[in-house]
Amino acid sequence: MTVVDLPPPLPVRDKATAVERAWGGVSPMLTRLAAERATGVLVREGGALHLDGGLVTYAESPLALGLDALLTAHGTVRGEVWREALSRADEHRGVARFLLSGGHLAEGALQLCHLAALYDAAYFALAPSSTPGRFRYGVGHRLGAVVPVPVAALERETLRRRDLLHRIWPDPRPDQAPLVRTRTAAAPRLTGRQQSLLDRIDGTRTAADLARELGRQAFHTLVDVRRLAAAGLIAPRPSPEPPSPPTAPGAASAAYGVPGPVPPPPGAAGLPPPGLADPPPPDIAERLAHTTDPHITLLKRLRDALEAL
Amino acid sequence: MANTETCLKEALASIEGATGVALVDYTSGMALGTMGGSKTFDLNVAAAGNTDVVRAKMRTMEHLGLKGEIEDILITLSDQYHLIRLISGRGGNGLFLYLVLDAKRSNLAMARHQLKRIEQDLEV
Repeated sequence: MTVVDLPPPLPVRDKATAVERAWGGVSPMLTRLAAERATGVLVREGGALHLDGGLVTYAESPLALGLDALLTAHGTVRGEVWREALSRADEHRGVARFLLSGGHLAEGALQLCHLAALYDAAYFALAPSSTPGRFRYGVGHRLGAVVPVPVAALERETLRRRDLLHRIWPDPRPDQAPLVRTRTAAAPRLTGRQQSLLDRIDGTRTAADLARELGRQAFHTLVDVRRLAAAGLIAPRPSPEPPSPPTAPGAASAAYGVPGPVPPPPGAAGLPPPGLADPPPPDIAERLAHTTDPHITLLKRLRDALEAL
Repeated sequence: MANTETCLKEALASIEGATGVALVDYTSGMALGTMGGSKTFDLNVAAAGNTDVVRAKMRTMEHLGLKGEIEDILITLSDQYHLIRLISGRGGNGLFLYLVLDAKRSNLAMARHQLKRIEQDLEV
């Protein structure tokens, strides 16, 4: 009779938390920083998030308008008032304190505008990226704490926003490419906001340019752009020149549809990531870039971690 | 103007029968502030969903060529009232207040009146 040593039971992953983590895993690094209550700035490919004690106090992205632009664009705060507040702010008393104490802005208006700017920029800062983020420990943002946002809330909202855009129109190309107007037989009636957007589309401006010109939130502009694309009124401009082979390492990021100031040529979207024999067709590459499938987000996190070694 | 949290708190405390209130950006569907609600009633989900209600009504009005502005929208459930009050911000950025009332304890006319006053306090 032989004694069989039973192997110890394999560790079982709790499925509920695994799914939750994969879905909430917009940025594993950010989740870790929130847990350790870090203070500093997280720089990612699409933008930067400022943390104070593990809470997000400010977000910025080259694709989104800053709080200054949103406040001054519609005359809520005059430009010189903002600049003066900025010059007088130091690390103990942020810009927000000067605006409020000087009576230039009501507290509620500042809070709402700040939240709008924060979530707007964070959407782009947290876009799927091919390079790992970097974190610099340091001091909080110069604005000062207005309404700090928990990381979990920010990630949840970012995922909801991605899903919202996908439901309106599943093709993400109009988000980054220069836009052209297209003719359609049955044009729907447009809202005033959509009409002013449509009037400015000339084949060179991208959604980010339009947001800047109109002084609107960039994500809100994407919502309108996707609605217009779904209505068949606009389309991303087809690239005139043939695709050139990528030489810079940044080309791999273009393959994943990461938002950047320069739109990837359509050919680049089909280029294989290094080490892949068969390039996925462009539409698959795009779907991969915007997927929320837990398996794929896991693979992306794994790739980010390996690259960070 | 008072800060957002104070306004929402006031709405919940002063409006008879109010069980939840949210300030919502209707382009993105994001709740900029919530107060009240419960485990079974997620105000963030309600905020996002009711954005579609507001949009549908606005679109219908445009199709009909109606020039008036929506002041509020009332949804009557068997045991609740949901009141949506539109706020036009200075930046042309649309927001709305979303109020959940217990039908048995509330006075609808009074609630509408008070919500209007709270909107004026907000003056975003």
